[in-house]
Amino acid sequence: MFERFTQSARTVVRDAVVTAEELRSDAVDTRHLVVALAEGAVAVPGPVATALRSVGVEPADVAAAARSAIAAGAVLDGEALASLGIDLDAVRDRADAVFGPGALERAARPRRRRARTRPFTGDAKKALELSLREAIRLGDRSIDAPHVLLGVLRADSPGGRVVVALAQDAGSDLVAVREALERERPAA
Amino acid sequence: MTDHRTLVTAAAGDDPQQGLRAVRALRELADRLETLQVRRARELGWSWQQIAGELGVTKQAVNKKHGRRI
Repeated sequence: MFERFTQSARTVVRDAVVTAEELRSDAVDTRHLVVALAEGAVAVPGPVATALRSVGVEPADVAAAARSAIAAGAVLDGEALASLGIDLDAVRDRADAVFGPGALERAARPRRRRARTRPFTGDAKKALELSLREAIRLGDRSIDAPHVLLGVLRADSPGGRVVVALAQDAGSDLVAVREALERERPAA
Repeated sequence: MTDHRTLVTAAAGDDPQQGLRAVRALRELADRLETLQVRRARELGWSWQQIAGELGVTKQAVNKKHGRRI
Protein backbone atom coordinates (compact mmCIF):
# COMPACT_ATOMS: atom_id res chain seq x y z
CA MET A 1 0.00 0.00 0.00
CA PHE A 2 3.04 2.30 0.33
CA GLU A 3 3.53 2.73 -3.44
CA ARG A 4 1.29 5.81 -3.41
CA PHE A 5 3.10 7.41 -0.47
CA THR A 6 5.18 10.47 -1.33
CA GLN A 7 8.73 10.82 -0.07
CA SER A 8 7.57 12.97 2.86
CA ALA A 9 4.89 10.45 3.88
CA ARG A 10 7.44 7.63 3.72
CA THR A 11 9.75 9.71 5.89
CA VAL A 12 6.96 10.04 8.46
CA VAL A 13 6.50 6.28 8.62
CA ARG A 14 10.24 5.69 8.91
CA ASP A 15 10.65 8.39 11.57
CA ALA A 16 7.78 6.85 13.55
CA VAL A 17 9.70 3.57 13.67
CA VAL A 18 12.87 5.41 14.73
CA THR A 19 10.90 7.19 17.46
CA ALA A 20 9.58 3.85 18.74
CA GLU A 21 13.11 2.47 18.87
CA GLU A 22 14.41 5.57 20.58
CA LEU A 23 11.64 5.51 23.21
CA ARG A 24 11.97 1.73 23.53
CA SER A 25 8.32 1.21 22.71
CA ASP A 26 7.27 -2.33 21.86
CA ALA A 27 5.34 -1.23 18.80
CA VAL A 28 4.66 1.76 16.58
CA ASP A 29 1.29 3.32 17.26
CA THR A 30 -0.48 6.49 16.16
CA ARG A 31 1.34 8.54 18.83
CA HIS A 32 4.65 7.67 17.17
CA LEU A 33 3.17 8.71 13.82
CA VAL A 34 2.11 12.02 15.40
CA VAL A 35 5.62 12.58 16.86
CA ALA A 36 7.11 11.93 13.41
CA LEU A 37 4.60 14.22 11.68
CA ALA A 38 5.03 17.03 14.19
CA GLU A 39 8.83 16.85 14.40
CA GLY A 40 8.98 16.67 10.62
CA ALA A 41 6.83 19.80 10.51
CA VAL A 42 9.20 21.55 12.91
CA ALA A 43 12.33 20.52 10.97
CA VAL A 44 10.94 21.27 7.51
CA PRO A 45 7.85 23.48 7.72
CA GLY A 46 5.36 22.23 5.16
CA PRO A 47 1.60 21.80 4.81
CA VAL A 48 1.22 20.04 8.17
CA ALA A 49 3.00 22.89 9.99
CA THR A 50 0.92 25.51 8.19
CA ALA A 51 -2.33 23.66 8.88
CA LEU A 52 -1.59 23.19 12.59
CA ARG A 53 -0.48 26.80 13.07
CA SER A 54 -3.60 28.06 11.27
CA VAL A 55 -5.68 26.57 14.11
CA GLY A 56 -3.32 27.91 16.79
CA VAL A 57 -1.39 24.70 17.43
CA GLU A 58 2.43 24.67 17.45
CA PRO A 59 3.92 21.52 15.89
CA ALA A 60 6.63 21.47 18.59
CA ASP A 61 3.92 21.30 21.28
CA VAL A 62 2.25 18.41 19.44
CA ALA A 63 5.56 16.53 19.33
CA ALA A 64 6.21 17.13 23.03
CA ALA A 65 2.67 16.11 24.04
CA ALA A 66 2.80 12.92 21.95
CA ARG A 67 6.21 11.99 23.38
CA SER A 68 4.87 12.62 26.85
CA ALA A 69 1.82 10.43 26.15
CA ILE A 70 4.10 7.60 25.01
CA ALA A 71 6.30 7.95 28.12
CA ALA A 72 3.25 7.88 30.40
CA GLY A 73 2.14 4.56 28.91
CA ALA A 74 5.57 2.96 29.00
CA VAL A 75 6.33 0.39 31.66
CA LEU A 76 9.58 2.14 32.50
CA ASP A 77 8.34 5.72 32.57
CA GLY A 78 11.43 7.93 32.25
CA GLU A 79 9.44 11.13 32.56
CA ALA A 80 7.80 10.08 35.82
CA LEU A 81 11.16 8.95 37.19
CA ALA A 82 12.64 12.32 36.26
CA SER A 83 9.94 13.90 38.40
CA LEU A 84 11.54 12.11 41.35
CA GLY A 85 14.99 13.27 40.31
CA ILE A 86 15.93 9.92 38.79
CA ASP A 87 17.66 10.01 35.44
CA LEU A 88 16.52 6.78 33.76
CA ASP A 89 19.16 7.11 31.05
CA ALA A 90 21.87 7.32 33.70
CA VAL A 91 20.49 4.25 35.50
CA ARG A 92 20.32 2.42 32.17
CA ASP A 93 23.95 3.30 31.36
CA ARG A 94 25.03 2.05 34.77
CA ALA A 95 23.02 -1.17 34.42
CA ASP A 96 24.47 -1.72 30.94
CA ALA A 97 27.98 -1.31 32.36
CA VAL A 98 27.47 -3.75 35.24
CA PHE A 99 25.06 -6.32 33.79
CA GLY A 100 25.64 -6.03 30.04
CA PRO A 101 23.94 -4.08 27.26
CA GLY A 102 20.14 -4.02 27.40
CA ALA A 103 20.10 -5.58 30.88
CA LEU A 104 17.40 -3.29 32.21
CA GLU A 105 15.07 -4.12 29.33
CA ARG A 106 15.74 -7.84 29.64
CA ALA A 107 15.00 -7.72 33.36
CA ALA A 108 11.35 -6.93 32.63
CA ARG A 109 8.93 -9.53 33.91
CA PRO A 110 8.24 -11.95 31.10
CA ARG A 111 4.75 -10.70 30.26
CA ARG A 112 5.29 -11.41 26.61
CA ARG A 113 8.25 -11.84 24.38
CA ARG A 114 9.74 -8.64 23.08
CA ALA A 115 9.82 -8.55 19.33
CA ARG A 116 13.12 -7.68 17.69
CA THR A 117 11.40 -5.60 15.04
CA ARG A 118 8.81 -2.99 15.92
CA PRO A 119 5.45 -4.00 14.57
CA PHE A 120 2.72 -1.47 13.89
CA THR A 121 -0.24 -1.57 16.24
CA GLY A 122 -3.73 -2.02 14.87
CA ASP A 123 -4.51 1.68 15.27
CA ALA A 124 -1.37 2.71 13.34
CA LYS A 125 -2.13 0.29 10.50
CA LYS A 126 -5.69 1.54 10.39
CA ALA A 127 -4.51 5.17 10.33
CA LEU A 128 -2.23 4.43 7.37
CA GLU A 129 -5.06 2.67 5.54
CA LEU A 130 -7.34 5.60 6.30
CA SER A 131 -4.73 8.02 4.90
CA LEU A 132 -5.12 6.20 1.58
CA ARG A 133 -8.88 6.45 1.93
CA GLU A 134 -8.58 10.19 2.65
CA ALA A 135 -6.46 10.70 -0.48
CA ILE A 136 -9.05 8.87 -2.60
CA ARG A 137 -11.88 10.86 -1.03
CA LEU A 138 -10.08 14.13 -1.81
CA GLY A 139 -9.27 13.02 -5.35
CA ASP A 140 -5.50 13.07 -4.73
CA ARG A 141 -3.22 10.72 -6.60
CA SER A 142 -0.64 10.39 -3.88
CA ILE A 143 -0.54 10.19 -0.09
CA ASP A 144 1.39 13.03 1.51
CA ALA A 145 2.11 13.91 5.15
CA PRO A 146 -1.21 15.81 5.58
CA HIS A 147 -3.11 12.71 4.43
CA VAL A 148 -1.32 10.65 7.06
CA LEU A 149 -2.41 13.08 9.78
CA LEU A 150 -5.94 13.05 8.34
CA GLY A 151 -5.79 9.26 8.56
CA VAL A 152 -4.69 9.44 12.20
CA LEU A 153 -7.55 11.85 12.94
CA ARG A 154 -10.14 9.90 10.97
CA ALA A 155 -10.76 7.33 13.69
CA ASP A 156 -10.41 7.81 17.43
CA SER A 157 -6.81 6.91 18.31
CA PRO A 158 -4.27 7.75 21.04
CA GLY A 159 -2.26 9.86 18.58
CA GLY A 160 -5.32 11.67 17.31
CA ARG A 161 -6.42 12.48 20.84
CA VAL A 162 -3.10 14.28 21.48
CA VAL A 163 -3.69 16.55 18.49
CA VAL A 164 -7.36 17.14 19.30
CA ALA A 165 -6.56 18.01 22.94
CA LEU A 166 -4.06 20.68 21.85
CA ALA A 167 -6.49 22.03 19.26
CA GLN A 168 -9.15 22.34 21.95
CA ASP A 169 -6.67 24.10 24.25
CA ALA A 170 -6.17 26.60 21.44
CA GLY A 171 -9.93 27.12 21.17
CA SER A 172 -10.19 25.03 18.02
CA ASP A 173 -11.48 21.52 17.35
CA LEU A 174 -11.08 18.34 15.32
CA VAL A 175 -13.21 19.58 12.43
CA ALA A 176 -11.10 22.74 12.08
CA VAL A 177 -7.85 20.74 12.12
CA ARG A 178 -9.17 18.42 9.42
CA GLU A 179 -10.35 21.35 7.29
CA ALA A 180 -6.97 23.08 7.65
CA LEU A 181 -5.15 19.91 6.58
CA GLU A 182 -7.43 19.50 3.56
CA ARG A 183 -6.87 23.14 2.62
CA GLU A 184 -3.08 23.04 2.99
CA ARG A 185 -2.41 19.66 1.40
CA PRO A 186 -0.33 19.91 -1.74
CA ALA A 187 -2.36 19.58 -4.93
CA ALA A 188 -1.39 16.30 -6.52
CA MET B 1 11.14 17.75 29.64
CA THR B 2 9.75 21.27 29.55
CA ASP B 3 7.40 20.62 32.45
CA HIS B 4 10.07 19.09 34.65
CA ARG B 5 9.47 21.51 37.50
CA THR B 6 5.73 20.91 37.34
CA LEU B 7 6.31 17.18 37.53
CA VAL B 8 8.66 17.55 40.47
CA THR B 9 5.97 19.43 42.34
CA ALA B 10 3.39 16.86 41.29
CA ALA B 11 5.47 13.92 42.50
CA ALA B 12 5.63 15.53 45.90
CA GLY B 13 1.94 14.83 46.12
CA ASP B 14 -0.36 17.59 44.92
CA ASP B 15 -1.63 15.73 41.85
CA PRO B 16 -2.51 12.10 42.61
CA GLN B 17 -2.34 11.08 38.95
CA GLN B 18 1.24 12.29 38.50
CA GLY B 19 2.26 11.06 41.93
CA LEU B 20 0.89 7.58 41.35
CA ARG B 21 2.46 7.47 37.90
CA ALA B 22 5.83 8.24 39.51
CA VAL B 23 5.34 5.53 42.15
CA ARG B 24 4.49 2.95 39.50
CA ALA B 25 7.57 3.84 37.47
CA LEU B 26 9.76 3.69 40.55
CA ARG B 27 8.39 0.28 41.52
CA GLU B 28 9.01 -1.09 38.04
CA LEU B 29 12.57 0.25 38.07
CA ALA B 30 13.27 -1.17 41.54
CA ASP B 31 11.84 -4.51 40.47
CA ARG B 32 14.10 -4.75 37.46
CA LEU B 33 17.19 -3.71 39.40
CA GLU B 34 16.36 -6.31 42.05
CA THR B 35 16.13 -9.01 39.38
CA LEU B 36 19.53 -8.02 37.98
CA GLN B 37 21.22 -7.76 41.37
CA VAL B 38 19.81 -11.04 42.68
CA ARG B 39 20.81 -12.87 39.51
CA ARG B 40 24.34 -11.49 39.76
CA ALA B 41 24.65 -12.29 43.45
CA ARG B 42 23.62 -15.89 42.73
CA GLU B 43 26.17 -16.11 39.93
CA LEU B 44 28.81 -14.86 42.36
CA GLY B 45 27.85 -17.67 44.73
CA TRP B 46 25.71 -15.82 47.26
CA SER B 47 23.22 -17.94 49.19
CA TRP B 48 19.52 -17.10 49.20
CA GLN B 49 19.95 -16.39 52.91
CA GLN B 50 22.61 -13.74 52.26
CA ILE B 51 20.57 -12.11 49.50
CA ALA B 52 17.44 -12.10 51.66
CA GLY B 53 19.43 -10.49 54.47
CA GLU B 54 20.58 -7.62 52.27
CA LEU B 55 17.08 -7.10 50.85
CA GLY B 56 15.59 -7.18 54.33
CA VAL B 57 13.14 -9.97 53.55
CA THR B 58 12.88 -13.64 54.43
CA LYS B 59 14.76 -16.33 52.53
CA GLN B 60 11.43 -17.83 51.50
CA ALA B 61 10.22 -14.54 50.05
CA VAL B 62 13.29 -13.99 47.92
CA ASN B 63 13.36 -17.60 46.79
CA LYS B 64 9.71 -17.53 45.84
CA LYS B 65 10.16 -14.34 43.86
CA HIS B 66 13.41 -15.15 42.11
CA GLY B 67 14.03 -18.88 42.55
CA ARG B 68 12.35 -20.01 39.38
CA ARG B 69 13.61 -17.19 37.19
CA ILE B 70 17.29 -17.48 38.02
